[in-house]
Amino acid sequence: MNADSDKPGSEMRLAQPSRARAAIRRERGLPYLLVAPAVAVLLALSIYPLVYLVKVAFQTGSGDAVRWTFANFERLASDGFFLTALWHTLVYAATALTFEFLLGLGLALLLDRSIRGRAVFRAILLIPMMLPSVVVGVVWRLMLNPTSGAINGTLQGAGMNTDRLTWTASTALALPSVIAVDVWQWTPFMFLVLLAGLQAIPQEPYEAALIDGSSAWQTFRHVTLPLLRPAILIALLLRTMDLFRVFDQIFILTQGGPGNATETVSLYVYRTAFRFSDFGYAAAMSFVLLAMTNVVSLIYIRLLQRQEPA
Amino acid sequence: MQKKSGSLPSTISLCLSLLLIACSFGACRRSAAPDGKSLTLAVNSGVEGDALKQAARDYETQTGVRVNIAEFPYANLFEKELIDLGAGSGAYDLIMLDDPWFPRFAERELLADLTPMFNRRNLAGPDDDFLRSSLALCRQPYETGALYALPYVGNSQLFFYRKDLLENHGLKEPVTWDDALAAARTISERESAGAPGGRQVYGYVMRAAQGNAVVADFMPIFWAFGAEMFDAEGRPTVNSAEAVAALRFMLDLGKYAPPGYVSFNADEVSAHLLQGTAAMSINWPAWISAFDDPERSRVIGKMAFTTMPAAKNPGRAEIGNWLIAIPRGSKNADAAFDFLVWATSREQMKQSALRVNPPTRRSLFEDPELLARFPAYPAQLRSLETSKPRPRTPLWNEIENTFGIFLSKANSGELSPEVAMNQANVEIEKIIARNRR
Repeated sequence: MNADSDKPGSEMRLAQPSRARAAIRRERGLPYLLVAPAVAVLLALSIYPLVYLVKVAFQTGSGDAVRWTFANFERLASDGFFLTALWHTLVYAATALTFEFLLGLGLALLLDRSIRGRAVFRAILLIPMMLPSVVVGVVWRLMLNPTSGAINGTLQGAGMNTDRLTWTASTALALPSVIAVDVWQWTPFMFLVLLAGLQAIPQEPYEAALIDGSSAWQTFRHVTLPLLRPAILIALLLRTMDLFRVFDQIFILTQGGPGNATETVSLYVYRTAFRFSDFGYAAAMSFVLLAMTNVVSLIYIRLLQRQEPA
Repeated sequence: MQKKSGSLPSTISLCLSLLLIACSFGACRRSAAPDGKSLTLAVNSGVEGDALKQAARDYETQTGVRVNIAEFPYANLFEKELIDLGAGSGAYDLIMLDDPWFPRFAERELLADLTPMFNRRNLAGPDDDFLRSSLALCRQPYETGALYALPYVGNSQLFFYRKDLLENHGLKEPVTWDDALAAARTISERESAGAPGGRQVYGYVMRAAQGNAVVADFMPIFWAFGAEMFDAEGRPTVNSAEAVAALRFMLDLGKYAPPGYVSFNADEVSAHLLQGTAAMSINWPAWISAFDDPERSRVIGKMAFTTMPAAKNPGRAEIGNWLIAIPRGSKNADAAFDFLVWATSREQMKQSALRVNPPTRRSLFEDPELLARFPAYPAQLRSLETSKPRPRTPLWNEIENTFGIFLSKANSGELSPEVAMNQANVEIEKIIARNRR
């Protein structure tokens, strides 16, 4: 390239590559430029609050009396209310997830075939998911009312004595009741994601299985499930993240009661921060919840990335 | 053409987002006039706040002083005020506060002392017409200390009962809690589904949802039984013999309450009373007018209101007043004080009373025009005068919440009264110890 530099017109030729290089450089920079707004928004809305959360979690007191300390984290281990709330969160998430997955999968399998009125069923099944959680909470609160609610009214109509079925007012039934409401509301989400997954599976493996003479169960176990795996993991991942931070329905239905029988970590965090103004301790609890969610999410993502053994 | 119609929505959305950004940078915020002729008032959204908002409009027309209103729902008001006053930003010149919050603000010295302001106007302090029990709430320490607020709305609990039902069964107005229990038992038994009339009426209904609700409905029993939250040294005493007896009594009353009362809040209690399915309850004056509303009430003219029943000690209601205070950081303290004195004057408080907020002035409880409209005023006045404040501690929110959880656990049968009270005592001790460090 340099050999031509003393020849006439070389200036022209020289200029061209440099311009091209500038263009390439510009083009290389362009993606960064394009993602910059998104990164800025992410930094402002997500990273900064996270850093701030960690900072507050290591502080006690307010105003001039702020001290740096591990006290908030030490308190977690000995706080019966927190440990109970953590246990409730885990029970809530595990139970609701199991039921939502099994029911959602069942419904998706049922509606993945051409039956009459499929579109209508599908639309009806999605209604609970489209309602705001607060509305769901209020509706169920009315239905679960022990004396005037629709559920006990129906049971009484069938001749049952409902005096002990006080649902959200009973220590034993309150947590199952709020879990049932979650299952009612969010099974459609599982159904939707799994149905989309089912419909994306090509026809050929099924035809092959049919020719090989495999039973319905064998087809399900060895064809449907492996091919549905990505959809299953995504549905479980999204639901798990939501379940860990559940707040609104419980807040409307029971406010965490009776006693603290339905108090989850999110509710306890809310109370600590906004009722007791103890932001440090609330931040420490949020941090634990965040860490827990991250660990579980990472496990799902690992599973998702791992190749299915042939 | 198509291009144009496509760009119009995007132009609008761009303008809107620019406006939003501008607002967030404070361009939309009304700034105080330099001459101080503008005040900002933080109020709760509800009847109490509405009355003060209306008063602010009247004040603007009368004096020309601009009054900006910052309105928040009850659940957020405390938090907003505490954050703003703590930061000393001076965003508010006057704040409305529920009296249990007062110690928290006063202890951190976030409110302006009103006595020097009275003195500057050649007054010793607020006039004698204010009820002693209401004014006592505005001092830190309680009753004896410096004056940091004035009482605006004078609520205190009342004992609600169905006079028709009690008369039908030959019962008198309950004077003691034992009377109330006996009446609850009689009504529950005789007004059962099988009885003539065919509809179950529960003898007693209460809020037993954990947190503020159950504590508020328990305190009159707790105090009447001779129990106290704290001893003279400030140590919790909720596991005393009197306290456990009071809780046991609450569970006895619960036997005649609708199933599921453990999760009841104000809505459920009021629904039972309005539907005529419960005979007695503790409730707040704000609900009185609902019983005469034909759209909501099936018991028009059948409710009576009186003071708290007694036990070992005379009956005492929990007081719950709305106060108005001037934040220490206010840049218009003098103008704010003028408004405060005006809004709590006899004439203005009467306007507020006509907007269904109980007053804090004796003369208004005896005002013929108001008495004609609010026949429960004599009972309300007696209740207010003998009322008792919630324990005056800046930690009350947290202590009340913890206490409420254990009361709720006892009512739901999860814990026995003794165990519940012992555990509550331990947890309250922890809260106090943690905040002493």
